[in-house]
Amino acid sequence: MVNRLTEEQGLLADSTQSVPEEFAFSADCVSRRFGDIQALNKVDFALRSGEIHALVGENGAGKSTLAKIISGGLRADTASMRLFGQPYLPKSRRDGASSGVAYVRQQLSLVRGLTVAENLQLGRPGAAPIFDLKAAVAEIDHWCSELSLEVPPESLVDDLPLALRQQAEILTAVAWGARLLILDEPSSNLGPRETAALIGFCHRLREGGTPIIYISHRLPELTELADRLTVLRQGEVVVSGADVRRADLHEVAALMVGDVSLLEVERPSREYGETRLAVESLTVQMDRSVGLEDISFQVRGGEVVGVVGVAGNGQQALAETLTGQSRSTAGRVVVDGVEVTGNPRAAINAKVSHLYEDRAIGLATQMSVADNVVARRVRDNEFSRFGIRLLSRIRSHAALLADRFQVRPPDPMAKAGSLSGGNQQRLMAARELENNPSLLVAHGPTKGLDPEASKVMRDRIFAVAETGGAVVVISADLEEIRELADRVIVLSSGRIADSFDIVEMSSARLGAAMAGLSDNDYERSNIQ
Amino acid sequence: MMLLPEQVMRLDVWKHRFRNVMQPSSLALGVAFVIGGVLLLGFGEDPIAAYSAMLRGAFGSRFAIGETLARAAPLALVGFGAAVALRAGLVTLGAQGQVMTGAIGALLTALMFEDAPSAIALPAAAIGGAVFGMAWALLPAVLRAYWRVNEILSTLLFTEFAFLLLKYLLNDPLKPPRAITPQSVEFPENASLGLVLGGTRFHYGILIVPVACLGFAWWIRSTRGFEYDLYGENSVLAKGLGVSERRVIVSSLLISGATAGLVGWIQVAGLLNRVYVQIAAEIGFFGLVVAFLGGARPLGVLAAAVLFGALQSGGLSMQSAEGIPASLSDIIQAVILLGFSVRYAPQIASLFDCIADRMMPSRRTN
Repeated sequence: MVNRLTEEQGLLADSTQSVPEEFAFSADCVSRRFGDIQALNKVDFALRSGEIHALVGENGAGKSTLAKIISGGLRADTASMRLFGQPYLPKSRRDGASSGVAYVRQQLSLVRGLTVAENLQLGRPGAAPIFDLKAAVAEIDHWCSELSLEVPPESLVDDLPLALRQQAEILTAVAWGARLLILDEPSSNLGPRETAALIGFCHRLREGGTPIIYISHRLPELTELADRLTVLRQGEVVVSGADVRRADLHEVAALMVGDVSLLEVERPSREYGETRLAVESLTVQMDRSVGLEDISFQVRGGEVVGVVGVAGNGQQALAETLTGQSRSTAGRVVVDGVEVTGNPRAAINAKVSHLYEDRAIGLATQMSVADNVVARRVRDNEFSRFGIRLLSRIRSHAALLADRFQVRPPDPMAKAGSLSGGNQQRLMAARELENNPSLLVAHGPTKGLDPEASKVMRDRIFAVAETGGAVVVISADLEEIRELADRVIVLSSGRIADSFDIVEMSSARLGAAMAGLSDNDYERSNIQ
Repeated sequence: MMLLPEQVMRLDVWKHRFRNVMQPSSLALGVAFVIGGVLLLGFGEDPIAAYSAMLRGAFGSRFAIGETLARAAPLALVGFGAAVALRAGLVTLGAQGQVMTGAIGALLTALMFEDAPSAIALPAAAIGGAVFGMAWALLPAVLRAYWRVNEILSTLLFTEFAFLLLKYLLNDPLKPPRAITPQSVEFPENASLGLVLGGTRFHYGILIVPVACLGFAWWIRSTRGFEYDLYGENSVLAKGLGVSERRVIVSSLLISGATAGLVGWIQVAGLLNRVYVQIAAEIGFFGLVVAFLGGARPLGVLAAAVLFGALQSGGLSMQSAEGIPASLSDIIQAVILLGFSVRYAPQIASLFDCIADRMMPSRRTN
């Protein structure tokens, strides 16, 4: 149905019919399944020699899975691939690398305690047992002038800013003889100037004859960068090799998100109370992930705000700052009139609850169910006297909550880590939801839960709103946002790209915001 | 027999403890003695005779029991302190040095109160020992809490400093006029700890061990101790729940410093009467081992300390009675340790992970 849609709209008009010059790489009918999830379903993909081909899609669309299969890090269930005219079936990443496919991931792989030159020689295919560092330095200088990079060969990787580290990584791949480069979300941590530099040397690489697969969810930069684009959604190709310059990016963005019509949604009409959470021009800098830039919004009691966006656009920073765990460089977070910015104790006292995205962080897995359940409230009079914990009371309370939140087995002495994932999630919910939170920050609350368990969890989150709490749901799952949220905030590169009432949510609007089309940067570049 | 739900729960607790701690411990112990027995056979000795000599040497007489306890007490005390730090996720190798400075502190304080009545001089010396032990832990604690300087390395380094300081003091300022070997002046009589059992080495200082054990049990049950456990288990979560990271690090390292300092005190005030270069022997390091083996729990640490005390005193008397080298008991200690390392392999591995994370922050992802 989707294909019909795109054809009708003439998106792929020129690309499929023109007789292709020689393909650098082609893959037919790539499928891959993980358990119940069909990550890729009969995907066809072709890369012309000397082109930059953008691979676009939101979380879980299958971009990285496809990249891993091409680079050899993952085996497809079915696929027939050709690389430079030869049949190609890599058994490992190393295998792929020796065929000339280099995969530069978001988490860079250089050893941080070594210099760039040392990294160049370390693990190099066919390297001599003793590193020739002088040659490495000369080689780096050569590539730097060739591609106009600015990588200092003898600096520790750790001392380089992220943009240069990434240049070093790409340089290493090229120097090792990459004939095909896959860049996975290379611009996600870069500022506008650095992105421009990245685009510059991608073009120089292309001129040098190296085709590039460029994975991204940010459309604006693609107009300058890429030649063609392919859009994946839920493991299927929805746009195949369209010409970037001719494509309507807003349409592409909408296709990327898919159909989010709201036919089935019915909101129980709730009376909202007073403002309980006020976020005032919050700016946060994070060490190793995207922070926040001048964010303001308010949530009233009984209101559920959904925060959407492609993962890694400031969600982590938002969750941590709302719950007092991260400091802000500017602005503040106020819950019920009390400032909690950078003060977890104040947040706990203000009854702020946090369903952590990662259960391994939200629970003390080596401690018992009982210890986990009361960890928030151990100093309450109910659970301790004169600084001594009342163990039997803690245990019976834990047994009670385990029963109420359906934690199996309901054994208060079992190690939290011995429970299954779903039960761990319920255990965390028991700790965070039992006491009528003023603000609940739920980060990916149903990730990895089965539909039944997800429904129960969503009901519980609703219950918080019904008792007058403010709720912020951070989720990449649009289905979930549609079911829970009254209002939607779209995060893109740490900024609020758009914000609207749930009934105004449409594919076009959401897609545009998520793909960065409503960014100021984009508008500016359009004006020029 | 009908059990009330409350009792069932308590029974469950013990079942968990048995499964998690006692069962593997006794297994490791058994295996160690079997391996030791095979070694003895290999050397042409009778294992039964050797072990019974060892047992007699450890528990067979008033003297033997006193000896075992005198050796177990410092291990237990250091073990409790190390366990407090261990539970907070900190590994301190500083006890060795803190025993030395504790002994010096106790001696210096006692010398200051030389003319005071015992009732003042004795506790003063104890406090002096504890304070000097703590002082030696302070800088590593602050470095760790404020600048993330790895505590394992800094405490090890501070042990070296303590040893050099001790050697200097015993070769010059504290050395009695006509002594040839490095040693301190005598510990003042009025601050000394007497013997509980005459003719043995069972001195009054050993009686702090049960007190410390109760204190440690109280610590574990306290809300604060719980927060420290939580920090040790999952520091991100603990901080999210409002636990102060700096406070946990500084306090737990200071507590372990204080207990090691107390060990310095009981060794000089109850056992040796002078400070020697070897005052700490290997107490600091074995104390950490005891804390590990005891699962960082009060009774576990106590049992591990008595076991190691018994192996040490039993080993020595096995040597004198049967002519079997005492190093055999060292081997048994080592095999026990090995057995436990296997048992704790995942925990130890995760400990190393956590150390690696700390030394290379890049391994942590946000």
